[in-house]
Amino acid sequence: MSALREIEFRDALREAMTEEMRRDQRVFLLGEEVAQYNGAYKVSKGMLDEFGPRRIIDTPISESGFAGLAIGAAMQGLRPIVEFMSWSFSLVAADPILNNAPKMLYMSGGQFGCPIVFRGNDGAGGQLGSTHSWCVEGMYSNVPGLKMAIPATPDDAKALLKTAIRDDDPVFFLESERMLGMKGHVPEGEEILVPFGQARLRRAGADCTIATWGRPVHFALEAAEALAKEGIDCEVIDLRTIRPLDIGSVVRSVKKTSTCVVVDQSWSFGSPGSELAAQVHKHCFDDLDNFVHRVHTADVPAPYAYNLEQEYLPNARKICEAVRAATYNA
Amino acid sequence: MPISVTMPRLSDTMEAGTIVRWNVKEGDEVTSGQVVADIETDKATMEMPVFDDGRIARLLVPAGQSVKVGTQIAVIAEEGEDLSAAASGGGAAAPKAAPVAKAAVIAASPAAAHAASASEEDETVTVGGARVRVSPVARRMAEEAGIPLSSLKGSGPGGRIIKRDVQTAMENASSRPQAPVAQAAAPAAQALAVPVAPAAARVSGGLVMAGLESERVAVSGMRQTIARRLVESKTTIPHYQVSMRFELDRLVAMREQLNGELAETGIKLSVNDFIVRGCALAMARHPYVNSSWAGDAIAMHKQVNVGVAVALDESKGGGLVVAVIRDADRKSLRAISAEAKALGEKARTRGLSPDDMADSTFTVSNLGMFGVEHFTAIINPPNSAILACGAAIKQPVVRNDELTIGYEMTATLSSDHRVIDGAMAARWLKELKGLLENPATLLV
Amino acid sequence: MSTPSTDTRRLFDVHRGEGAPKLASDRTPPPASTLKKWLRDMMLIREFEVRCMQAYQDKKIGGFCHVYIGQEAVAVGCVAATKPEDPLVTAYRDHGHALARGMTARACMAEMFGRIDGCAKGKGGSMHMFDKPNNMFGGHGIVGAQTPLGLGLAFATKYEDEVMQNGRNKRVTLCFLGDGALNQGALHEAMNLAGLMDIPVVFVVENNGYSMGTSIHRGTTMAHDLKSKAIGYGIDAAVVEGMDMLECYWGMKQVVDDARERSRPWFIDLRCYRYKGHSMSDPRKYRTRDEEEAWESDDPIGKLERFMLEQGVVTEAEVKDMWKDVKAEVRDCVAFADASPVPEAGELFTDVYMEPWGPYPGSSQPSFMGGAPNTPSFKAIDPKGDVL
Repeated sequence: MSALREIEFRDALREAMTEEMRRDQRVFLLGEEVAQYNGAYKVSKGMLDEFGPRRIIDTPISESGFAGLAIGAAMQGLRPIVEFMSWSFSLVAADPILNNAPKMLYMSGGQFGCPIVFRGNDGAGGQLGSTHSWCVEGMYSNVPGLKMAIPATPDDAKALLKTAIRDDDPVFFLESERMLGMKGHVPEGEEILVPFGQARLRRAGADCTIATWGRPVHFALEAAEALAKEGIDCEVIDLRTIRPLDIGSVVRSVKKTSTCVVVDQSWSFGSPGSELAAQVHKHCFDDLDNFVHRVHTADVPAPYAYNLEQEYLPNARKICEAVRAATYNA
Repeated sequence: MPISVTMPRLSDTMEAGTIVRWNVKEGDEVTSGQVVADIETDKATMEMPVFDDGRIARLLVPAGQSVKVGTQIAVIAEEGEDLSAAASGGGAAAPKAAPVAKAAVIAASPAAAHAASASEEDETVTVGGARVRVSPVARRMAEEAGIPLSSLKGSGPGGRIIKRDVQTAMENASSRPQAPVAQAAAPAAQALAVPVAPAAARVSGGLVMAGLESERVAVSGMRQTIARRLVESKTTIPHYQVSMRFELDRLVAMREQLNGELAETGIKLSVNDFIVRGCALAMARHPYVNSSWAGDAIAMHKQVNVGVAVALDESKGGGLVVAVIRDADRKSLRAISAEAKALGEKARTRGLSPDDMADSTFTVSNLGMFGVEHFTAIINPPNSAILACGAAIKQPVVRNDELTIGYEMTATLSSDHRVIDGAMAARWLKELKGLLENPATLLV
Repeated sequence: MSTPSTDTRRLFDVHRGEGAPKLASDRTPPPASTLKKWLRDMMLIREFEVRCMQAYQDKKIGGFCHVYIGQEAVAVGCVAATKPEDPLVTAYRDHGHALARGMTARACMAEMFGRIDGCAKGKGGSMHMFDKPNNMFGGHGIVGAQTPLGLGLAFATKYEDEVMQNGRNKRVTLCFLGDGALNQGALHEAMNLAGLMDIPVVFVVENNGYSMGTSIHRGTTMAHDLKSKAIGYGIDAAVVEGMDMLECYWGMKQVVDDARERSRPWFIDLRCYRYKGHSMSDPRKYRTRDEEEAWESDDPIGKLERFMLEQGVVTEAEVKDMWKDVKAEVRDCVAFADASPVPEAGELFTDVYMEPWGPYPGSSQPSFMGGAPNTPSFKAIDPKGDVL
């Protein structure tokens, strides 16, 4: 095993893209401010110097146009990475990314795939207001034909992004502005990829399964710490990918604990959280001691005020309340 | 070969059409693309073209009539064909309708093994006429263990029988025949081997009183645990009480003196601190009190860990926790005081950790601050005894055959008769009395 | 109301950016064999579309059906100006482009009938004619959505040639759109990017004067001078005649060659007319019969026939034979489509992903009952190995 060093989430993303671009000439990056500005969030810092302006491409502000461009290029055989400065901005490109990319293989009868990666900051970013705080997995996960990955730590970020770039299907890669500066141990010097559809056990426990993904993984771990003091032992599972969904890991865990709480940072109505809860109910019907409790972001547009936003999120306190309720300790 | 002309589908939703007007008559020549009729559909009146060259051999449906889409309405004779032959032949057979798609029976998902019939997560069974709710896993466990659901009282919402209830019943069924005094009203809720740390367990409840309006206040997990353990203690341990009075004049004086000297350090000794130290020393000298009933043996503990009962704020849900001061016989008064204070603070704010509450060998409960003279406490299992202290009250006392005023405290030791017999309890109290009435001995 | 030009040999009206070289102006008619091929292609498209209409009314084709009748010269002329390796993408009125590009009538008709032998296994339908060997990239339903795709295809060919240096010839992408798509934001973003990045894409606006029931004058500013829209993005633009096969070819050939040479985008206002409605359920109340008849009297197929007869390239009898042959071919493809089976139920779940997670049952959940996860084709290791 190679050395582990601590790097930031954003560095992990950059490493993944850089390594893949060195490996395969067909991979290129485009988006707003990715080249000369070194990335709006410094994820692509230095990449222009290494790869040049033909492969690290600054685009004007035309999400619909450049997303469509990338999809056309992918149909022809290239492997673009499209950076949305925020997933909130992807809404203007909803037609190409939802109506074209995931459908291309199917409606061409298997002839034209779309090996593209869309990536960007997803979710509340810290008082960014209601139009800049979208958790697009709430809507986009509904569409078949795409894959969706949402890492929670730098090592997963790097490994999953490498998988996403090598994957021949369109991948929606959801990061978080709040996590970009997070440090974590990331192995270097080896080809490490995480296959999609494989969850990761973050904390073993016996009393309650908390299934979650993305930034809420950290809220869940925080809650698990607090609950341990009360004698409630939580098992935290980081799903890592929403499509495909590793329902197997969750089911095996729930069979052990009999209790499940799903934490999802998107709004509750018709969300991946509700999908997971429904699947758990289906597969663990005879193993549950209580219905699957869900913790979501509050069902309102994202507020600006700091305290309101903290209350808006699926924070550790709400998770504790849900776990206590689910385990009949409320 | 004569060509059949059928009523065309001129809009997505069209089911039938009415021929408003024929633009041609039998015998007319027609070319591909020529409009031969006006058809009224569900949406509008549309022109109907033919797609072939030839001559109209026959018009089968008169103007004004409505026919279903696909019905033959005319026959065209191709170039060189005999008109009447084509007409009488009636044209080609009924047009080939669009093939019926094979029944798209999608195979059921492989995980359909689970019978997902019930939409509710819990099922209900009827027990004695009333519907009882039970969670799926509890039902399964009860079935597997052979425990009839009717024998279980649910601790979940609405009286739902949950996993914990079945587990409890299962443990109960396999318990050692202790002959517990099972006169408690609640059946089936008698857990054994309760860990000292409050486990996430609930006492069976569900007392319903008809005709009396009450507000149901939800109880915390901790309350539930306390309730359960106390019931278990009172019903399984043969309690008896021995009381004694203690003259605390010297202790009170010494306390004042010491507190005066310790004022700058911020340490303030309380009477209870002295009592804790006293109990600890007494137990060191009478190890039989520092032990637990172990069924077929008595476990004599090698450490003296004195638990101090701490009452929590009602507004925060109330409850009673026991903070443990380990090795109290080896700690100074100062240390005991600091620890007791810290633990008390912690209990009231963040809450005690399982470690803070584990491994007590004896408990002291003090209601003196409320002015209580005398009370008896319930043993905190797996301890064998608990000391209930009242207030040190200034009252008339007899000293040296004279009536005078002095501080006296009444303390009551509740003991487990399986471990501590009456004489033993008395001896221990005498030991304590000696220590507390000569407080200098507590300092060494 | 638009009327056809009576001068079939007018030069096309070009705007070039400053400094761009003059376009070559070669008006030599191609050899007889080529002309015959083009004529037959146009006839095939016409007959194919006529039978599509019939099949639609016979309920064999469902959903939407947009026929190309009247615009045959556009598809055949534009495709003739390109090389086989040049990508082509268009909107939903795509049967003509599919056939002109070299797709078989059988594959197209079977696709329209929703059968397994269709080019997309029956899963695309009328609006989604795709063919990889012929570099036919569809067939797209959302108005204007294909314009960034066309841009992307051109971007990719240029990237492959210049960045990856794989030595392929310079390629030009033809991106067809209707005049209705001029109003979609996607097109404008695409034009901006094309002009900015020197992408060799030719945006061919099949300007037939109508977007469904709205005439261009009711829906688009500068309808009389669409070139101005491209000029606004710094793109060279021209008007090309679409109802005359040769004019269309000569015009497009010069444009495509220029785009290939200089690796620059072009915008073409291709004037044409669709004889039938927008789709099968369109009663065409928004234009007059007179207008239609004026355009129909100058049928592009007839025009080319007359030219070839005048030139002595072909005889009347040969023309008649060609029609017969084409009609037989189309009759055959209808029979083929009729006989082709419908896709099996299991086909519903194929082609959703290139690499699905295990067998794809129509949802994203893997088979978890002891099934091993699908190992992707590349090496993948989970570093911690602490998966449940």
